[in-house]
Amino acid sequence: MTQILIGQIVLSIVLACIFLIRPSVTNTAGWKILAFIGLCALPALCIVGGMNIHMQRSEQTQFCTSCHAMAPYARSLYVDDPSYIPAQHFQNHRVPADMACYACHADYSIYGPLKDKMRGLTRIYMQYVSTPPVTIRIPGGYDNNQCLHCHAGARDFEENAIHSAAMDALKSNQMSCISSGCHDTVHNVASLDHVKFWRPGQ
Amino acid sequence: MTFRNLEFKWLLRISSALIIVGLLVEIASLLWFHPLSFVLFAFVGASLIGLGIVVYLASLVFVASTGGEKHG
Repeated sequence: MTQILIGQIVLSIVLACIFLIRPSVTNTAGWKILAFIGLCALPALCIVGGMNIHMQRSEQTQFCTSCHAMAPYARSLYVDDPSYIPAQHFQNHRVPADMACYACHADYSIYGPLKDKMRGLTRIYMQYVSTPPVTIRIPGGYDNNQCLHCHAGARDFEENAIHSAAMDALKSNQMSCISSGCHDTVHNVASLDHVKFWRPGQ
Repeated sequence: MTFRNLEFKWLLRISSALIIVGLLVEIASLLWFHPLSFVLFAFVGASLIGLGIVVYLASLVFVASTGGEKHG
């Protein structure tokens, strides 16, 4: 995908170079059409393609963990303790391992990807321009819908007596999946120095 | 060669230059795997390409209006 886009970009650059060096070639009809393709249609497609690739790339675990502030959270995915919810999901492939952060933190609403991107840009601004927060917090707290996106409708989730008794409270976010004393061991980055880690392949 | 024709060629050159620089920035952003690469793409690359497209479209309007003046 990236290679195809780079090929398209190179083609656009070659065409734009022709019009930069010899703008007089646009005197003929054929070159006028080529100028429209090279200076309008192809570059516009390059913007769309670039945006698409950058959006897809930002869904990757590797992308999220390339930020310095995210390093402890990436480390927490390898904790050798099934009570750590993100580690358990990541290590057992309950979420795609290459999209682990996105699977549990994406906003699955219609404008979710746009909202996520804006939130990401705010964090980049805080990191490089203003002051980054000491503790990273999710604005508004963790939304149960991010768990329910996968778990709702699943047999073992629905048939669990505790889940079914609290289903309305869970769906309306009145009771949080992670802070109600049920699944409250999440990343726990402050305690990572005292836990055992899993090494893949060992 | 008329003054208007020269102006059109300069607009085409400016448009081409903006698009080339914008596309080179886009290639750099695609090859750089870092959270800042999106910022580079969106705020520098895409803006330059978009500006180049606008200048090109403006040059077309400019040519059309010049043609209109000739006929009118």
